[in-house]
Amino acid sequence: MSAIRRWASGLLRAVLRHTPSDSQDWANAMLRELDVIDGDWAALSWALGCTTALFRHCVPLGLRAWLGKRLDGKDAVGVASGIVIAVAVTGSAFGLVRKLFYLFPAWDLGPMPWWVAMIGIPEVIFIVTAVALWRKRRSMAVGILLSAVTLVAHFIVHVATHGNGQ
Amino acid sequence: MKLRLSLQTLQVLDAFLQAPKDWKYGYDISRNTGLKSGTLYPILMRLAERKLLETSWETAEIGKPPRHLYRLTPDGLRFAWGHRLSRSTGRVSRTAFSGAKS
Repeated sequence: MSAIRRWASGLLRAVLRHTPSDSQDWANAMLRELDVIDGDWAALSWALGCTTALFRHCVPLGLRAWLGKRLDGKDAVGVASGIVIAVAVTGSAFGLVRKLFYLFPAWDLGPMPWWVAMIGIPEVIFIVTAVALWRKRRSMAVGILLSAVTLVAHFIVHVATHGNGQ
Repeated sequence: MKLRLSLQTLQVLDAFLQAPKDWKYGYDISRNTGLKSGTLYPILMRLAERKLLETSWETAEIGKPPRHLYRLTPDGLRFAWGHRLSRSTGRVSRTAFSGAKS
């Protein structure tokens, strides 16, 4: 067996070991097919594709199960209130930055500082608040952190698709 | 829950309709449709989740590990035929329309 095929097989075996029980059948099925693929590179490509497929299948299921296990009614209210607070903070930061640039046009140095202020101020507030709340109100801190991650992800996607905000 | 009918899903359904009663291997479907494993398996998983696809392990032979097999359920067959029919109807009307235009 060539090194490439060993990698492919090793990858799928590792994936099989870490796959949740409800997806083990699929992981095993993908591994079994590897034996009938002729080319080594084709086998590696197969293994990589299968790993991606299993990852995409298992991560949302795992996340849903994890959230379902962790969140009871009270926690859900906590997470929801954390998200509401985060949205309010983001909205306030947005309004504040707009107002400042309106009152002091000289401060508007171009689109990038505007975006840094828009993302930077709320992110700092989110992280400080989440750290402060982590021990006593963990569910609310989780809601705030989820919002922080969402805001950063949104910003990254925005910059990736529209450039630096121009 | 609705099944997203992408072009690739339709290709997989078509591959099953070529011999509707036969069990098929994953790699064979991949070769017949030209779909990579990363595209094929999410489709097979979604079809199986919606009970449109049944799966089975082939009976093991000595020295040969068993492989996973797939075929459409009766519901899956109805679904696949229905979509093939609606597509062919659409294609006929489109062809007729473009013919009228030219």
